[in-house]
Amino acid sequence: MTLLITAVSLIGGFIIALPVALVRIHRVPVLRQLASAYVTVIRGTPMLMHLFLIYYGLPILIDALARKFGFDFTAASIPIVYFVFIAFSLTAGAYMSEVIRSGIQAVDRGQVEAAYSVGMTPIQTFRRIILPQALAVSLLNLSSEVIGMLHGTTLAFTVSITEINARANIIASTNWKFFEAYIAAALMFWGLTVIIERVTARIERKINTFNRGGVA
Amino acid sequence: MIRVRNITKKFGKQEVLKGIDLSVEQGEVVVILGPSGSGKTTLLRCLNFLEKPDSGEVEISGYQVDCKRPGKQDIQTLRRKTAMVFQHYNLFKHKTVLENVMEGLVIVQGFGKVEAREKSVQVLEKVGLGDKLDMYPSQLSGGQQQRVGIARALALEPEVILFDEPTSALDPELVGEVLSVIRRIAAEGITMIVVTHEMGFARDVSSHVVFMDGGVVVEEGKPNEIFRSPKEERTRQFLSRITPELTYDI
Repeated sequence: MTLLITAVSLIGGFIIALPVALVRIHRVPVLRQLASAYVTVIRGTPMLMHLFLIYYGLPILIDALARKFGFDFTAASIPIVYFVFIAFSLTAGAYMSEVIRSGIQAVDRGQVEAAYSVGMTPIQTFRRIILPQALAVSLLNLSSEVIGMLHGTTLAFTVSITEINARANIIASTNWKFFEAYIAAALMFWGLTVIIERVTARIERKINTFNRGGVA
Repeated sequence: MIRVRNITKKFGKQEVLKGIDLSVEQGEVVVILGPSGSGKTTLLRCLNFLEKPDSGEVEISGYQVDCKRPGKQDIQTLRRKTAMVFQHYNLFKHKTVLENVMEGLVIVQGFGKVEAREKSVQVLEKVGLGDKLDMYPSQLSGGQQQRVGIARALALEPEVILFDEPTSALDPELVGEVLSVIRRIAAEGITMIVVTHEMGFARDVSSHVVFMDGGVVVEEGKPNEIFRSPKEERTRQFLSRITPELTYDI
C-alpha cells in the first residue's frame, strides 16, 4: 500500500508538475497566475491538510454534482485510497513543479537557439534538448521528493488506509509491543529509502557522463 | 540567393537596425564588419528569425517572408534553408559529437539513422574530428567544439551558413584551426555570411564585404576596395583602429 500510494502520487504529481512548470516559465497569461497560486497554496499548507481537505471536501462536491445531474451515485462508493491519490498528487505536483522549473531554467538558451537554427520545432526542442537535460539536473532533487513522498504516505493512516505505519499500529495493539512494531516499520522505511538512494546514484552516474569534465 | 529588404529592428527604444538591404549570390562569402553594437549580429539572427525583425522582407532561394507577420511555417522554412554557427558553439551538451551532427538530419530532415550516421561521420572527418565521434562536448577544447558546430551546420546542406563571430570566444591559439576549416568549406563554394573581427581572415576569404555602423550599412564592396581604399571616413577610422598592420600593406 505504501509503495502504491507513493508511486501513484509521484506519477500524478509529475503529470501535474510539468504543465505547471511550463506555464510559469512561458508566462502564459491567466494560467500562469493560477499555477503560481496553486504552488504557493500547496507549499504553504501541510500535506496532512491537503489530505483532509480532499478527503472531507471532495465527497461533498461529488455528491452535490451527482444530485444536480441526477446520477445515482454517491461519493461513499469511491474507495478511500483514491482520495489519498488525489491529495498526495496535488502535494507532489507543487513541489515537483518547482524542481522541474529550476531544471528547465538551468538549460542554457544557446542550445535552444541552436536547435531552432537546425530547424527543430519548439516541441521537438523541448522533448529532445531541454527535457533530458532538465531531468538530469533535477535528478537529486527529484529523488529527495520521492523519499519525502514515501515518508509522507504515513499520513494516510489518518483516513484509515493501512500502510506500513498503520499496520504496525494494528499489530502493536494486539500484542502491546508498540516500540518493536514501530522499530520494524522504521527499518522498512529506511530500507526503501536506501534502495531509492542507490537507484538514484546509479542513474546519476549513467546520465551524467556528459558532464564529466574535459579539457575546456 | 538571399535578399534582405529594408529590415528594421528595435530593442525597446533602441533602434538596432534602421532599414538594412543586403543581397548575397549563390556561392558568395559575405563578411560583415563593424564595431560592437552596430547591429551586425542582430542582422544575422534576423535571417533565421532567432530575432524577429519589426519590418522588412527576407527572401532565401525564392522563399519570401514578410517580417511584419511571419507564419510559423514561414519561420520553419527559413530555418530549414539556413544553418548557424554560434559564438559560444551551443552544442547539445547531453549528446555526443556524432549525435550533435545527426540530430538535425534525423529529426528535421527525416534521414534514417544509418544514412544520417554515414553522412555525419563524413562531415566530421572533413573538419578533422573523425576520431572524436563518441566524445561529449565537455571533453573537447573550444576549437574542437566549434568545429563540431561547423559540422552540425554543414551536414544539413543548407542554402547558406550563418557564422556569428565563430572565433571570438576561442583562445588565440585555437583560432587558426577553426578559421582554416571555414576557409576550406568556403573554397567548396558554400554560401556563407560571416560576422567576424578577424580582419586578415575577412580579407582572404570574402568575396564581398559589408561595413555596418549604428544600424545602417555604411559601405560595401569587394574586399580589396574596402580594405585598401575605403570611401567612407567611418570605415577608414574603424579599419585603421582595428588593423594597423594594413597601413603597411602595399
